[in-house]
Amino acid sequence: MAEGMIKRLGSMLENKEISCTELTNTYLSAIESANGDLNAYIKVTPEAALDTAKAVDEKLARGEQLAPLEGIPMTLKDNISTKGIETTCCSKILEGYKPIYDATVWAELKKSNAVLLGKTNMDEFAMGSSCETSCFGGASNPHDIGRVAGGSSGGVASAVGGNIAAYGLGSDTGGSIRQPASFCGIVGLKPTYGSVSRYGLIAYASSFDQIGPITTTVEDASIVYDAISGYDAMDSTSQGRRGEPTVKTLKNDIKGMKIGVADEYLDGVSDEVRSVFEKACEVYRSLGAEIVRFKLPSLRYALPVYYILACAEASSNLGRYDGIRYGYRTANYKDVNEMVCKTRSEGFGAEVKRRILLGTYVLSAGYYDAYYKKAQNLRGSIVKAFKDAFETCDVILAPTVPMTAFKKGNAISDPIETYLTDICTVPVNIAGLPGVSIPCGFDGEGMPIGMQLIGDTFCESTILNAAWQYENAAGAEVFKPSAYGVKL
Amino acid sequence: MVTREDVINIARLSKLYIAEEELDEMTKAMGDIIKFADTINVASEQGVEEFDNINNLKNAFREDVVVPSYERDEILKNANDIDEGHFLVRKRV
Amino acid sequence: MQYEMVAGFETHVELATNTKIFCSCTTQFGGDPNTHCCPICIGLPGVLPKLNRAVVQYAIRAGLATNCHIANISKMDRKNYCYPDLPKAYQISQYDKPLCENGYVQLSNGRRIRLNRIHIEEDAGKLIHKRGDTYIDYNRGGVPLIEIVSEPDIRSVEEAKEYVEKLQQIMRYIGVSDCRMQEGSMRCDVNVSVRPVGSDKLGTRTEIKNMNSITFIGKAMEYEFNRQVELIESGGEVEQQTLRYNDSENTTSPMRGKEDANDYRYFRDPDLVTISVSDEEIDELRKTIPELHFEKVERYVGQFSLSEKDASNIAKYRRIAEFFEQASDGVKNPKTVANFIIGQIFRRLETEDDKESFDIKTTAAQLRELVKLIDDGKIRNNLAKSTLEQMLDTGKPASEFISESDMAGLDESALEGLCRKAVESNPKAVEDFKKGKQKAVKSLVGFVMKESRGKADAAAAEQLIISIIG
Repeated sequence: MAEGMIKRLGSMLENKEISCTELTNTYLSAIESANGDLNAYIKVTPEAALDTAKAVDEKLARGEQLAPLEGIPMTLKDNISTKGIETTCCSKILEGYKPIYDATVWAELKKSNAVLLGKTNMDEFAMGSSCETSCFGGASNPHDIGRVAGGSSGGVASAVGGNIAAYGLGSDTGGSIRQPASFCGIVGLKPTYGSVSRYGLIAYASSFDQIGPITTTVEDASIVYDAISGYDAMDSTSQGRRGEPTVKTLKNDIKGMKIGVADEYLDGVSDEVRSVFEKACEVYRSLGAEIVRFKLPSLRYALPVYYILACAEASSNLGRYDGIRYGYRTANYKDVNEMVCKTRSEGFGAEVKRRILLGTYVLSAGYYDAYYKKAQNLRGSIVKAFKDAFETCDVILAPTVPMTAFKKGNAISDPIETYLTDICTVPVNIAGLPGVSIPCGFDGEGMPIGMQLIGDTFCESTILNAAWQYENAAGAEVFKPSAYGVKL
Repeated sequence: MVTREDVINIARLSKLYIAEEELDEMTKAMGDIIKFADTINVASEQGVEEFDNINNLKNAFREDVVVPSYERDEILKNANDIDEGHFLVRKRV
Repeated sequence: MQYEMVAGFETHVELATNTKIFCSCTTQFGGDPNTHCCPICIGLPGVLPKLNRAVVQYAIRAGLATNCHIANISKMDRKNYCYPDLPKAYQISQYDKPLCENGYVQLSNGRRIRLNRIHIEEDAGKLIHKRGDTYIDYNRGGVPLIEIVSEPDIRSVEEAKEYVEKLQQIMRYIGVSDCRMQEGSMRCDVNVSVRPVGSDKLGTRTEIKNMNSITFIGKAMEYEFNRQVELIESGGEVEQQTLRYNDSENTTSPMRGKEDANDYRYFRDPDLVTISVSDEEIDELRKTIPELHFEKVERYVGQFSLSEKDASNIAKYRRIAEFFEQASDGVKNPKTVANFIIGQIFRRLETEDDKESFDIKTTAAQLRELVKLIDDGKIRNNLAKSTLEQMLDTGKPASEFISESDMAGLDESALEGLCRKAVESNPKAVEDFKKGKQKAVKSLVGFVMKESRGKADAAAAEQLIISIIG
């Protein structure tokens, strides 16, 4: 099995096989040659990266021990606030905006000298499943650049899958970490709501958003999760990680573990995905786990519930982009109100506008009860259905996406068709649960297929352990290196 | 059913302009999305759970202690137009 | 036909907490524009609110002091509307689960003005329009407010004024706000409607926004009452609308048209968690509510025999009331203390603000000592008065200004000597008195008092002088 990039680079630095500056330069030149094809990065930050690398080299020269993520070149999705570095959510409306504060996750990583290579592409305000609503154009899939990297964290997935970042942080509101990780054949963890601070993450839908790692292996995801999770006083919904670091229990035996498979998750998935998924179930059986089939009928409503609630929150969260305090402002207007309306009409893309309008509609007088309130109650039902499920099983196993990466341009044509591809990922966000997507095979055209392990709240250890066991058992069969990026 | 008037009204509340010629298309698009959203209204009422907040959290408070504010230059740094320490929207003709 | 006024108030009161409601910036009034700001209170992308514990406590205390029921469970909601003074395009407020409900404020005529609710929310920034340009200052953005919503129980301008004054006194007394209307820390929206006397149906109401002076509230309500009555009398109908009061013309005018009608799309703020307050916590807060103004007035009149007016003048200001109570502790006649406060001390505190802050050099204990000298018959009122002036100037105790001999008093022969001297040195006054001008004797007594440095007994001196002249 391939060793994770974080583990590998960490030991290379410790053993002085390479200096952090050399390593950083290697990544920077790999970005230069690959990013034209991948469009993963929308901004590269070489000076800051090399400054950090120098600090790490000095530390190594003094013979000091490095922290787990120290000196490792990485990237952040462009909705994570970075002080002094343009943060745009890939929207014209945030053109030129340089935050004056750091998101808590970045402040923490910065303290341990994480080497930020640059900011990565995403669907505008994280609204999309293909990365194509980005005002910079979409990111490409490193396994076939004619296909999308997925979304919304498409840039991070493309960069990590294409070996031009050792790992990255994305955000997951309805699948935005897990789906692109699945499309690009890598690992993506959406943590329990409240375990990673949202402070500084530019909000799409506040009660769904969660920052998490996109990495090459489960162990790497576990290392990053341990580093970024924790209580943050700045975030009222923050609770932090529960229990000891997840790396400690990563390799535990899973004999007797009860793995639930809900029929509803398999409705409508492609035959190829289904057969790869069934094979993965076999691998788990061979590891001594028990596969328990069960039903989650309330999942039928998961998609509309998600779109109603997420868009309602988004319509409110995105009200602040008015051209007054930051970002884009229209050139001509006759009064303040017209300035605001024109700025927003010119600054937001079509999908963002659609979701703002939908969100405004479901909250507006006369429709609130039928949509927002009803959806909120159904959210309660879905939360309860999962709670009940975890009475009988330890984790739930499901496909991550019903299909493999689509061809570029296909997602844009029909919004509702595109919404339907989120069917397997949104339930986790509705219930605030942790979910990790890992590669489990390929389709006939060699495109990666992913599956996700879903746990009860704050049970990251359990799902990462189950994921690691599968990854270890399945070996190289499910992992294919991309032709792009650094070769070390 | 989403009407043109609905779309005009929600666009006004959202501070978005929709050009006259895009209005019909947007009304249809919104209608489709709402039809999709309407599937929740065929959900049986049974098992409806009250939803409070995601982890049923209570009382996350901050103590009432002043922390120095940001330098004004920082606060105004990203603004399009400023004058005399204020954010500014200039009159245009 | 006779009409009566029906009015209700929505009163915004800025809380006197140290920091804003959702961030740690100061709430201090004034300051250069945009210097009391941080990423949270200017609504930068990605920031999150964190509720100030003191805001919840202050609001609960305001609720307890106005006889409200305190909700054990409440929450914060977003009120969505886009305006440049509102940096997030929503105001975090409370919609269907306010902290306090069902209270009342009792007026002097015995009527109770019911309070529907008190909720917490954030203030907006300040817009300045100059030559068509819009300048924006967010210093005030995020300052905590309580909104006190009354039922339409007010029937006259007088009741309205008393209601606002009463709220002001209560909030100041419990220390939750300084309620300075001219600085905007207390603002009222007034709902006014009219109906024929005897009817119990409510008429269509109009809302006069953002009133920040009690005088103007009275004038605006009167204007609006007359306008509505005239409209109805002439066959018209009152239109439900929001009005602005123009104080230079004393008129009201509509603020916005119907087409701008707002739909606030309230929903629970997902960035904030449930507020849960136990009965024990509420009881603890109840213990911090001091005896209120009107309760003190009752006690001062009953227990200390002060006049209603004097009692009210003292009790109106919390610090002065405390000073009075401490200075009166153990003295024979608290009225003397009250007279010193209302007379000499108030002369030094010209404005309401001076009285509110009550910054004087003399302590309550020092005044008490002085009054005890009078009680013990050691000095007389006049000497006490002049001594108090010196005490107030210097902050020193009475003993610094009164000697043993001052306290020894005057014996009878000394008094007689002084009275004779008075008669001899003031022939004009003696002449006037003889002609029947009774008052002339006062100036002779004054002479004696002055010569004796206040030690003489004025009444005895008067008797003596009359007998000398007569």
